[in-house]
Amino acid sequence: MSSRARSYWAGALARLLPLALVLAAWQAASMSGLLPKAVLPSFGEVAASLGAMLRSGEIVPHTLASFARAGAGFGVAVAGGIVLGILMAQVRFVERAVEPVLLLIYPVPKPALIPLFMIWLGIGDFSKVTVIALACLVPVVIATFNGARGVDEMLLWSARARGTSERRILWRVVLPAALPQIAAGVRTAIAVAIIVLVSSEFISAETGLGYLIFSYGGVGADDAMLAVVIYLAALGYLLDRLYLAGLRRLMAWHAFAH
Amino acid sequence: MADPCLDLRAVTMRYGEGPDAVAALASIDLAIDDHEFVTIVGPSGCGKSTLLYLVGGFLRPTSGRIELRGRPVTGPGPDRGIVFQRYSLFPWLTVRGNIAYGLEEKGVPRAERDRIVEEHLRLVHLEGFENRYPRELSGGMQQRVALAQTLACQPDILLMDEPFGALDAQTRRILQDEVRRIWRRDTKTVLFVTHDVEEAVALGTCIVVMSARPGRIKEVIARDFDVADVDEFEANPAFAALRLRIWRSVKQEVEAARP
Repeated sequence: MSSRARSYWAGALARLLPLALVLAAWQAASMSGLLPKAVLPSFGEVAASLGAMLRSGEIVPHTLASFARAGAGFGVAVAGGIVLGILMAQVRFVERAVEPVLLLIYPVPKPALIPLFMIWLGIGDFSKVTVIALACLVPVVIATFNGARGVDEMLLWSARARGTSERRILWRVVLPAALPQIAAGVRTAIAVAIIVLVSSEFISAETGLGYLIFSYGGVGADDAMLAVVIYLAALGYLLDRLYLAGLRRLMAWHAFAH
Repeated sequence: MADPCLDLRAVTMRYGEGPDAVAALASIDLAIDDHEFVTIVGPSGCGKSTLLYLVGGFLRPTSGRIELRGRPVTGPGPDRGIVFQRYSLFPWLTVRGNIAYGLEEKGVPRAERDRIVEEHLRLVHLEGFENRYPRELSGGMQQRVALAQTLACQPDILLMDEPFGALDAQTRRILQDEVRRIWRRDTKTVLFVTHDVEEAVALGTCIVVMSARPGRIKEVIARDFDVADVDEFEANPAFAALRLRIWRSVKQEVEAARP
């Protein structure tokens, strides 16, 4: 093993250590009777429940249903958010029209809009996907707008002095220069998608991880409920890591913080 | 006499309007002949970079005319290559991509483009670095790439805005020699802005001293002696005398600008 690989694994272990300590403390508290089962099932029970769910495959269709909803909303938001953010940065009128609406939506907790969207769009997947898309749109638009607006003027001058026309400058300079910020906005949108997804599945759904949490919680199966929460956290963490690894590979020209 | 390469007539520049307006340049007249290496030196804030940006077409003068080979300058274009102190390069393109950039925009066919890129990689001694990204290069190497990128476009005039200002002294000296070498080889016309008097004298065949703001051309001095490398200027009494003379002229302006 090279010294670089060794330090990578050492770093990964060091990051996992605090988590392992928390889980060990949780288990110890349960076993010593300090933490009664009625308050919180032990980590061992939760882990066993998660293992059973994975073995039986019961969690798979719910995962797929959730992925489809979150993916649809997220996809629409990324495509629409980049277009809208670029338009805002380039066209004064669009900026004036969209900015106040965006600032108004920004601080609203998006799950609070779910009941309203269900009245408008029905209780099916369409209203869920719409709320997820709206929630994910905000960070993508803001990041894209800031990225496209913040392009260094010298870079634009440099392109013009090398024969780039105003029509091409968007593709040749503005978009690539804004990419690191857009990528950061999309990363935020991944987390937002998961949050709003689960909230929307609490309210009216027959499938999905949010539905599972809510229904296990409703029947007092706390170990199974927590198992789904942990599964969801692991999934979110994995998605984020995969996304970052993909970015580092695709955007090798940029120095990412981590 | 042949027409000048670059001709500035009664060029003035004001930033802003009304009572808050700042006069950056007050009536500049300057004619630069082909193959001339003109350095512009002056106190900071004298508008020397503004002058360069006007020639580049990035800014429009408040009044006056700027002509390149008899054609009025109305905007930026590949006939005027520019190297900035920083941010000339596109971070998302490799060294090769950056050098090829202007050629792609011009629609130069692939094979021809590759040939020109190779030639310019050799010119600035960056063979072997063609697939690196700018962030992987030192400041001096980045400026070499910027120079190659600009030269590959075959501009009529090379504009340089304190291109070595952010580099350490050793790297700066080496790049000064490279620029002199390239200028001699191509006998390009160069307009080079600097606040470093020594650099202005070592590079310029013609040294323009600007006054404190609002910038005016204070004097234009020809250097009528030369050496092979910048190093050799160090023991050259004529060089020392010229440097001192120009420094005193600049110093007067620095003191005049002091509140």
